[in-house]
Amino acid sequence: MSEPVSGCALEMRHVSKRFPGTIAVDDVSFEVRAGEVHALVGENGAGKSTLMKMLAGSFDDYTGEIAIGGQLALLHSPTLAKRHGIGMIYQELSLARPISITENLLAGRLPRRGPFLDKARARALAKELLASVGLDLDPSLPIEDISQHGAQLVEIAKVLGNKPTILVMDEPTSALSHEEVERLFCIIGDLKGRGIAIVYISHHLPEIFRIADRVTVMRDGKKIATTPVAEVSREEIVQMMVGRSVKEFYRREERSIGEVRFRVGGLSRLGFFHGVRFEARRGEILGICGLSGAGRTELAKVLTGLDRADEGSIELDGKPVRGSTMADFLEQGISYLTEDRKTEGLAVRLPVDDNVLSAIVDRLSLAGIFSKARGKPRVDRLIGELSIYPPDPSRTVGNLSGGNQQKVLLAKWLASEPKVLILDEPTRGVDIGAKMTIHASIEKLAREGCTVLLISSDLPELVGLCDRVMIMRKGHFIREMQYSECSEESLLLAANGDTGRGAACVDPEGRPHG
Amino acid sequence: MGEPSRGGSDARALRTGSFSSIFNTVGVYAIAILFLALGAVLQLTGVIGNFLSPMNMLNIVDAVALVGIVAVGMAFVTYSGNFADMSVPTTMGFTGYICIELLRYGFGVALVGALAVGLLVGVLNGFVVGKFKANPIIWTLAVNYVTMGVIRLVWVNKQIYPDMVGSQQHAVSLFDGIYRLRFFNLIGLPLVILLVLVVLGQFVLTRTSFGVKLKLTGSSPRAARLSGIAVERVVMLSFVLASFTATIAGLAVTSLSRVGAWYNGAGYDFKAVTAIVIGGMTLAGGRGNIFGVLGGSLIIGILNNIMTLFGIGTFSQDMIRGAIFIIVVGTNALSLRRLGRDDA
Repeated sequence: MSEPVSGCALEMRHVSKRFPGTIAVDDVSFEVRAGEVHALVGENGAGKSTLMKMLAGSFDDYTGEIAIGGQLALLHSPTLAKRHGIGMIYQELSLARPISITENLLAGRLPRRGPFLDKARARALAKELLASVGLDLDPSLPIEDISQHGAQLVEIAKVLGNKPTILVMDEPTSALSHEEVERLFCIIGDLKGRGIAIVYISHHLPEIFRIADRVTVMRDGKKIATTPVAEVSREEIVQMMVGRSVKEFYRREERSIGEVRFRVGGLSRLGFFHGVRFEARRGEILGICGLSGAGRTELAKVLTGLDRADEGSIELDGKPVRGSTMADFLEQGISYLTEDRKTEGLAVRLPVDDNVLSAIVDRLSLAGIFSKARGKPRVDRLIGELSIYPPDPSRTVGNLSGGNQQKVLLAKWLASEPKVLILDEPTRGVDIGAKMTIHASIEKLAREGCTVLLISSDLPELVGLCDRVMIMRKGHFIREMQYSECSEESLLLAANGDTGRGAACVDPEGRPHG
Repeated sequence: MGEPSRGGSDARALRTGSFSSIFNTVGVYAIAILFLALGAVLQLTGVIGNFLSPMNMLNIVDAVALVGIVAVGMAFVTYSGNFADMSVPTTMGFTGYICIELLRYGFGVALVGALAVGLLVGVLNGFVVGKFKANPIIWTLAVNYVTMGVIRLVWVNKQIYPDMVGSQQHAVSLFDGIYRLRFFNLIGLPLVILLVLVVLGQFVLTRTSFGVKLKLTGSSPRAARLSGIAVERVVMLSFVLASFTATIAGLAVTSLSRVGAWYNGAGYDFKAVTAIVIGGMTLAGGRGNIFGVLGGSLIIGILNNIMTLFGIGTFSQDMIRGAIFIIVVGTNALSLRRLGRDDA
């Protein structure tokens, strides 16, 4: 890889950002040279996003210094960040779908002649920007009429229009097909040539080996290392991301695993997952591991009756699950903890007890009359068991911390006394204390005979809790790993498409479908 | 990226006081008493006459009864997070026509017929809004106008009178009695109906499984759905209740005026919504209770009465009611926004 001589476009020196109770970024020094693609990797919660949000001007209370082009800069607002030449490209597009490419590209700075829009110049400017990303489109088309890939490129063009010297790309390929990724890589090469410094965040290691010059690994808010990509192997990066062997941290108590309780055969939802087949037993914690976009949540929504499968069967205790709605599934003992706590999981304006009892309203009612009193022992017991703080059932959920909200969500599903509990990212975004409580509770549930399906991007969680892990990739179950085979390294490599251990092939297609 | 647990939640909770507490149930009745006192002061200082007379108090109560009946039902729609049922005015008018037309077959038939038609409107509203997620205001407004058109088409733009349609004198006198029947020569039937509906409504809202599901649905429809609640059915039932009480109020109004007219229910939509929000039910859904709605209706009734005694014209009264609505909803929204919950 070329070694540019132009010095650092961006230098972050000893920057930190704390939130109440945690340090999200802890004394990190990070530099990107002009004309360099610098990959930033780390597990969920490692601090990558917070570091980049700092650059985007999201925080006005970070500590440490940031220098841009050798000059100290204060990035205390998004406007300041933009003015300093920082461009952000996020996973989700920021384009307005019904309006034209031109208006999207030039939002806020449409050229005028007197009080009127200068249409001809706007069009010319838009054309020019589109050309810079290799697009030859009619700029008067609305965004919704162009392809996903086109929209992604328009997004890049829009950011380029602000003439950034530093470009941050956060998982830019997650919605793109193979050919589209290739085109994106060409454009990135072109941007490099123009001397733009690029920070590239991705979970897909093969991409990093394709296009990055250097890679910085973060873990637990700290920088672990920065190294040229040419001098490091995939295994070494994974090792740095993961750090320790988790198995030492989780003390496992023996659980007895019983007969088959939940059987899924040939389940498909076209476009999302295909031919999924597995069995889960009583008292078993079965992990489902995959990169974002592998189809995990889509699978969960079918397994719980929220969405319909196109084909396949779901059996509980040897009998097909009856009915087609979530209420039917719930009644038969299948519960689902959603990954989206705030909008789908909890009614945040209501108190703790209303939320905990919300899935069992009918079970607590006799002839249509609801008895909160009948549910009260259950609420009190769960508040105690999960040490929900403050231990006050009448407290509004929205006023609790994230970790305690997540405990309330788990309590809601524990209250439903499930036979099969499907957990979708049960500890995302919670502090370590809440995480330990939730893990203990999941293990207890399994010991009591419940079948737990654990969908998680948190590798230590999968390794620590699961008896088996199914690896999901591009909508297929590609591999099953027993507890003895599971480690963070082996899971991460498998999710990235390695079929055997130690096969360090660089796979340029290391991405899932959208 | 992990979102860290936030402290400071207690500070937030503490600030809930001031503004929004005005709109709690006790506060509403305090304001109603304040308005009564205002009326008394105005009379004693000679600005208005007769406010405190028994006759006028009865007027207030009768007016409150009609607005209150509509508001109690519509409150379920507001509570479900669907704002208001704007089809109430013509539902009231329409069911009045139906009842008068059917009087020839007897009072019972007329009553059942009118209620059936009213419930049908509710089922339609609830189905479309619940199942197809239509904008509740736009949809019910459209139903309001379509129904109005139907009335004017079917009855060729004519009003109808109970005496005209049949020889069933007994049925007609029973019909007249809906509004005029007074227990102990004092308490009108509409007031009794209102009080029964308030007690029943409060019970349904707070003690039944439907009420609990409605609260969840109004607070967070997506979370309700993922709790296995049939949100569509819950929303449908709330609209049915709104139409049910609108029908009762419609019959009372028609009985009062002794005429079936498409404009019989005019203005009740807005009066009811205003009573609901003054009574502490936020437009965001899932908050408030029926006792508060009764208090809100009381305030609206007293205010209307004072304004009328004051000699304020109908148009100006509308303006004042509109302004009050804006102030209540506005301060409510502001106080919630200040708490960092942009959900009003």
